[in-house]
Amino acid sequence: MGDLPDFGHFRKYEEIIPDFDSFLEVLGRPQPYWIRVNTLRIEVPELADRLKSKGFCLERFGSLPVFRIVGMPVRHPGATVEHSLGYYYVQDLSSMMPPIALAPQPGEAVLDIAAAPGSKTTQMAEMMANTGTIVANDVSRERIAALVGNLERLGITNVAVTLRDGRTASFGAEFDRVLVDAPCTGEGVVRKNPHGFRAPTERDHRSFAGLQRAILRNAYRHLRRGGLLVYSTCTLNPLENEGVIHFAVENLGAEVLPFSLPIPHSPGVEEWNGREFHPHVKRCARIYPHMVDTGGMFIGLLRKP
Amino acid sequence: MDFSESPEAREYFRERFGIPEEVLRRYRFLRRGKYVWAFSGTVLIPGRVEHAGIKALSLAGATPKPTTAFLRVIGRHTTKNVVRIDREDAPAFLRGEEVSGRWDATRGYVIVVAGNDVLGCGFYTGHSLRSMVPREYRMEDTWI
Repeated sequence: MGDLPDFGHFRKYEEIIPDFDSFLEVLGRPQPYWIRVNTLRIEVPELADRLKSKGFCLERFGSLPVFRIVGMPVRHPGATVEHSLGYYYVQDLSSMMPPIALAPQPGEAVLDIAAAPGSKTTQMAEMMANTGTIVANDVSRERIAALVGNLERLGITNVAVTLRDGRTASFGAEFDRVLVDAPCTGEGVVRKNPHGFRAPTERDHRSFAGLQRAILRNAYRHLRRGGLLVYSTCTLNPLENEGVIHFAVENLGAEVLPFSLPIPHSPGVEEWNGREFHPHVKRCARIYPHMVDTGGMFIGLLRKP
Repeated sequence: MDFSESPEAREYFRERFGIPEEVLRRYRFLRRGKYVWAFSGTVLIPGRVEHAGIKALSLAGATPKPTTAFLRVIGRHTTKNVVRIDREDAPAFLRGEEVSGRWDATRGYVIVVAGNDVLGCGFYTGHSLRSMVPREYRMEDTWI
């Protein structure tokens, strides 16, 4: 594997990741770029034609407004006029899945409690056709600045941006849908920066899990009865994933719903290190890097009865 | 909530750019300090909101100045003070350079269009077009 870092950290997941050797092999390969077309501004075929005429080689993903970049004449896929005009967003395929699972509808009120830099916020606004409202929150001013930059670039006008602590703040309203795309140890996105990867410790996993539970509790508080909430992370550790979903069921009274995704995934794991989770965690989705050549993601769909 | 409604902003877009009522109706124009935001959302929650929609107008100068970001949102609905430049001139405009020419527009801020693209805000002097595209949106040499 040449000068790549040691991915021994991931050995502990050997039992839960299918085709583990393939997973390890893919971790060492750079990730392809995926782009999402901003359908508020341009049609999918028109954007594809424009990029192809500039020398991009694109492969559409099913019927989604999404392309994988197979080849490009620039160093970064955002180095185009089309990107600066807000015609597309460079976003990993697996990162597009939480909004798809949440399925926000035009006219609804949505809370995106850890929104920056806004790949999922802008995606949801596109799904909602710039109608209804998204309250997009984050905890740091720098992150908010990045979020606002993306909202302006894509022409998203239905978002109210707040700078509040997701664990404790009140958002003064009940929402039809809530997205909790939680801060995490990021094991699923190591391919983006393999040399910068610092293997998280057990303490890190537990510490993030505490933060995630706090954010989820507050987010759930803002969900109307019958409303839907997606909890997602880009990490693999069950403490930060199924453990948090278990908390939502046992402590918050949430229901875990099954859902379908347009990309291959594995079910949530019911047991980890001797700890058993609520059996409904198997309704959650684990997206692994070697399944569709993308980053890893965990997604759970909850409903407030 | 510290925003106040700005009928002046609505009037500005109607008068300067001839934006039809059915388009303007989609937005609440919310002023705070020197800026007015255009917000198509339906809910404004209590407490401090950093941004509601996107900044549409700056009232910092002698005349109101529309933002490139909002002009790119409503640009295709403009009926007045539109400057259409040739596709070949678009990169120069996006780099922040001046484009010479005469167009059917009054002196002041205009919406600049090239082909199907709404490029953003320009300032028409009567014989040339100055680019008002903000620095952070300007085309870089590495772009295509």
